[in-house]
Amino acid sequence: MNIVVCVKQVPDTATERKLRSDDKTLDRDAADGVINELCEYAVEEALLLKEAHGGEVTVLTMGPDKASDTIRKALAMGADKAVHLVDDALHGSDALGTSHAMAQALKKIGFDLVILGSESTDARTGVLAAMLAERLGVPQLTFAKKVEVGKGTITVQRVTDYGYDKVEASLPAVVSVVEKINEPRYPSFKGIMAAKKKPVEKLGVADAGIDASQVGLANSWSEVVDFAAAPPRAAGTIVKDEGDGGAKAAEFLASKKFV
Amino acid sequence: MKFILDAEQRLFGETLHRLLDGAGTPGVIRSRAAGEPEPVRSLWRALAGAGVFAPAVPEAAGGAGPLPVELVTAFHELGRHAVPGPLAETAAAAELLTRLGGFSGSGGAGRAGDESGTAGAAGAGGLAAEWLPRIAEGTAAVSLVLPPAVPYALDADLADAVWLVDGDRLCETVPGAARSSLDPGRRLFPVRVGTVLARGPAVRAAARAAGDVGALACAAQLVGLGRRLLEATVAYAAARHQFGRPIGSFQAVKHRLADVLVALEYARPLVHGAALAYGSPDLPRDVSAAKAAASEAAYAAARTALQVHGAIAYTDEYDLGLWIRRARALRTAWGSPADHRARVMSCLAES
Repeated sequence: MNIVVCVKQVPDTATERKLRSDDKTLDRDAADGVINELCEYAVEEALLLKEAHGGEVTVLTMGPDKASDTIRKALAMGADKAVHLVDDALHGSDALGTSHAMAQALKKIGFDLVILGSESTDARTGVLAAMLAERLGVPQLTFAKKVEVGKGTITVQRVTDYGYDKVEASLPAVVSVVEKINEPRYPSFKGIMAAKKKPVEKLGVADAGIDASQVGLANSWSEVVDFAAAPPRAAGTIVKDEGDGGAKAAEFLASKKFV
Repeated sequence: MKFILDAEQRLFGETLHRLLDGAGTPGVIRSRAAGEPEPVRSLWRALAGAGVFAPAVPEAAGGAGPLPVELVTAFHELGRHAVPGPLAETAAAAELLTRLGGFSGSGGAGRAGDESGTAGAAGAGGLAAEWLPRIAEGTAAVSLVLPPAVPYALDADLADAVWLVDGDRLCETVPGAARSSLDPGRRLFPVRVGTVLARGPAVRAAARAAGDVGALACAAQLVGLGRRLLEATVAYAAARHQFGRPIGSFQAVKHRLADVLVALEYARPLVHGAALAYGSPDLPRDVSAAKAAASEAAYAAARTALQVHGAIAYTDEYDLGLWIRRARALRTAWGSPADHRARVMSCLAES
């Protein structure tokens, strides 16, 4: 089975994340880039499926040169090879543009199954899996907490607010996973060393057959008009308890219409 | 000399850091102190699975070594998380076996016991072939006694083999009753000589190389320990207020913290420099310089952590004390700073 895992490099959530003042895109130099956490679960699931059914795992990412760190991490975990979509023309692409570029790359690579994390920690749109499935004309199975592959079919448990739905589709398909699905492995030292020798193919817009008029900041359907830092949290009200603390707390809650 | 770790080495270190963060080493140390060996053993297997011992074991025996820079990268993280167990001892034993088993490719290897000893070269080779793959895969922990620098068997109760090098003999041992260490995560065992496993000048030479690897691994642990102690202390000094200000804003506190940072930053390149000297005749000198500096830097970090934290630092339930006591124990493990300074001196006098 030919599995492609889409991974994304995101700014470390432990550091302060910023937007650039010039073009209002993510400031990638302001924070360390790390692999998006949910993508690790996607890689793990791809590796588990490969171990159970055989085949090959390809990592696909779109991002600037330094996103190669994220590719290295996924290869160190055990993926076989990688494709890196890297082109200045892709900078600032929104979800629609990104899905076009990734879909073109996926058509070029070929796949039985595409696995993604259900959302990234930076943009948090959570729509890429659905958009990819639509553009590729294959079924989408999102928010999977369990994946089973049969003969030409795939069954997942799709997490919902009330429990889960059992969803079945034919392959090829696109799956997005949630963190309940597995426990991602740590790359071993041998895995890290082996990753150095694994092939990484770099593709530009032209190589992947991407329509340049559908990608990039200028062609994005969504536009960041303005942004501002979140206001600092206002100081709270301290009630000094002089025997009437309960009444004062109740008064406060009543004034906010909580009680 | 280039002391910047490459991308693979950084990823290796970060991976171990994450693994150990998730493992919760303070809990492992406390259960060890309470006499439960299983948490340490399972952590040991996880670490070996991540490749902690791969850089110490040659490729032909199931590892990826010798890779001394990767070894110190790993041991830095082990120290940073105060991982218990005979770690430096097992890395040193791997070096000893590598030399005796003829894996190192250097002259004299595989000739252990040529002088009609108890075990011949084949015996030593068999020993290496038996134990090295087990060390790499994490199914064997070895405690090694190398007098005078290592007079007791560390954690013999956790080890699958307890060996002693006595002059030109490598022996199995019979551990005596445990002595308690000031570090609750460590137990020290006096040993009596048992069956001789190999004999000859090659044993003496291999033991010297093993001593250097053990001291180097210990030095890397000390730098990691010191770094963690400094981070914890800086965070505490920023959070703890007195006289209406964070205590870290007072010069007397700032200066102590800065001194620790300087000491650690001087020790770190010495550790990396010693790793790069592996295989060169300067290794003993460079390892000693690294061990002496790392010991003093980590000990300064521990003293400062104790002073700046105040009484909470020696509160048993507070994890900081586990790091403070480990720094004190490792300061004199694998040779005291004075021993190592003396060895630097004698190396310089010879050259």
